[in-house]
Amino acid sequence: MRLEHGELRTLLPHRYPMLLLDRVDSVEPGVSLEAVKAVTGCEPCYSGIAEGQAPDRYAYPASLLIESFGQGAAVLWLLSRGPGTTGLPMFTAARDCVLLRQVYPGDVIRHRVRLEQVVHGAAFAAGSSWVGTDQVAEFGSMMAVVRPADAIAERKR
Amino acid sequence: MSERDTHMAELREIVAEVLELEPEEVADTADFVEEYEADSLRAIEILARIEKKYKVEIPQAELNEMRSLKAVHEVVARHAGWQD
Repeated sequence: MRLEHGELRTLLPHRYPMLLLDRVDSVEPGVSLEAVKAVTGCEPCYSGIAEGQAPDRYAYPASLLIESFGQGAAVLWLLSRGPGTTGLPMFTAARDCVLLRQVYPGDVIRHRVRLEQVVHGAAFAAGSSWVGTDQVAEFGSMMAVVRPADAIAERKR
Repeated sequence: MSERDTHMAELREIVAEVLELEPEEVADTADFVEEYEADSLRAIEILARIEKKYKVEIPQAELNEMRSLKAVHEVVARHAGWQD
């Protein structure tokens, strides 16, 4: 199953500038997912940088990389739930995450997410992120809990 | 090492990892909330790890009791059928 960008927006409450996933290439509900995030120089994290900075000043922030992976995990969990289940996943903990190389504008990140455990209203995912054949991150354990949608935020109309 | 000691050591390891402590810092009867500032999310994480490791189901209602390493051991022993 492949999910285009519009379909992601029906699943995730995130919007600009915090919707950090572009497409899901494949998903096996309850098991795994592969998602794509393209990093461009137009990202808000690069606005306002003074001219003439060192190249690594344009490294994609680790926090956003982790959040992007987490959104992939959220989509996987949402598609793995039984029909009629409500509530939104809230990212609560990351453990044993290792960043292996920097990501720069022009890179296309592929997240490979595995759903490890769903229990007591919490989900645990693990996996890795890649740019081409280079692994850029390893995620040992990402935890989210489900919370009622109206307790998180009212969606803007 | 007795079976109980092995289980206690394994559980201590899990609790320490989730609470970001060294295993030797986790005392048998210290209250997770009062001594280590644990919250409900950490409690669920401990419970989930235990269920995965020992392939046992523990009702969420038991969470209220699982406030120290010793208490965790008692709850898990009951549900996993340990004769510790």
